[in-house]
Amino acid sequence: MPEEDHRLTLLLALADDELILGHRHSEWTGWAPHMEEDLAFSSIAQDEMAHARLLYRLAHESGLAERDEDAMALGREPQKYLNAWLCERPNRDWGFTLARQFLYDTADAVRLEALAESSWQGLAEVVRVMQLEEKYHLDHARQWFSKLADGPAEGRQRFSDGLASAIGEAMALFEPLPHEDGLVAEGVLPRANEQLLAEWLGRLGEELESASLDFVLTRHGATAEMVPTSSGDMPAPSEDLTVPGLSRRDDRWVHEGGFAGAGGRRGRHSEDFVPLWEEMTGLYRAHPGARW
Amino acid sequence: MNKAVELEAVEEVVWEALAEVHDPEIPPCSITDLGIVESVRVSGDAVEVELLPTFAGCPALDVIRYDAEVAVRAAAPEREVRVRFVYSKPWTSGRITKEGRRALQEYGVTPPGEGGHSGSVVIPLATLERTTSDVQCPFCGSEETVLESAFGPTLCRSTHFCRSCRNPFEAFKPKG
Repeated sequence: MPEEDHRLTLLLALADDELILGHRHSEWTGWAPHMEEDLAFSSIAQDEMAHARLLYRLAHESGLAERDEDAMALGREPQKYLNAWLCERPNRDWGFTLARQFLYDTADAVRLEALAESSWQGLAEVVRVMQLEEKYHLDHARQWFSKLADGPAEGRQRFSDGLASAIGEAMALFEPLPHEDGLVAEGVLPRANEQLLAEWLGRLGEELESASLDFVLTRHGATAEMVPTSSGDMPAPSEDLTVPGLSRRDDRWVHEGGFAGAGGRRGRHSEDFVPLWEEMTGLYRAHPGARW
Repeated sequence: MNKAVELEAVEEVVWEALAEVHDPEIPPCSITDLGIVESVRVSGDAVEVELLPTFAGCPALDVIRYDAEVAVRAAAPEREVRVRFVYSKPWTSGRITKEGRRALQEYGVTPPGEGGHSGSVVIPLATLERTTSDVQCPFCGSEETVLESAFGPTLCRSTHFCRSCRNPFEAFKPKG
């Protein structure tokens, strides 16, 4: 496989995460609990989709992809999307939505910090544009985090339920990309995903501990579904329902073993992806090549 | 007229034409006032204009690019015109000119920078706990204002309320 294909994998992983989560966020338009949050999620969705477009365009303009940004976003078969499962999961309730946004945007900040130093100038430039806008998303997530962590019992409970059920699949945002070693060696991806995951877990652990919410790292959400591992096996239900792939070593949270919801970076998706894809691409498939 | 002088003259006319192109989401401000025009390069047979998007997801970008192209073509009819958005560096709200800030203010949108937003982008979730901000009301000049939301009708604006004159108002978000 030529080296360039691996850069495309990196771009698609980043862009598809933004596009698919942006699509989920946009589902709150008109339905959020209050008007300001309607605006917030609609605006964040608009930003995320724009970031996906920048990355698809970079792929096209650097000759890694023949098709333009619209065709990349809407004209691919489901197994060609490389987003993590976390992004495609339905919004469920407000607690889950906010928990997922918090986990995604804090994780995204870690990888963008690394990619801003990419040896690939074109990518580093796009990432620096993205970072200035992602700041607002992170602020939004952190404000809700502190409000809900310190707030009344029901909100805190629903938020921690959301965190507990999303944390396993959030770790898979850092599932190693196929052929990642080459990208790391060339500095395109300045640090390997395992290292980025360790950085994120370190920061996340501290934030959760400071809010006495670190219990979400020790037991899996009771409402979370069991998901197959990368080998396709179902994990054996364990007594303590620990978060898959997460362990405590030397007073630190570390990743060990597989990932819940593994396979996104190879185009494998959960049962929630195809219904989303059908809706997202419906107009495009009905009118291929339409301009607007 | 020698070549260099001619190119310089065309460049000046192109900048003047761009100063007449307005952001459709912020009608009083031209794209030069907003710092959207990054560069103008004139050669013997072409004009190349590079623009910086204020926000990547701004839906006005296509309109701005099209309007800029039409304006530059009219200003330099004998040359091939290329106008494009580039992402080689991020747009920041510090690029808005003094004239742009004045136009925003008159339009009822508090400008970022001096007399407006501070550089901080940490914006409280005002809907959960109304917070005083240091954003000046564009109507009465009072600083007794609260932030209503970090998000607004466009990606580049936040929404506020003035406790003195009791008007709701918007501010241009600080960026950078």
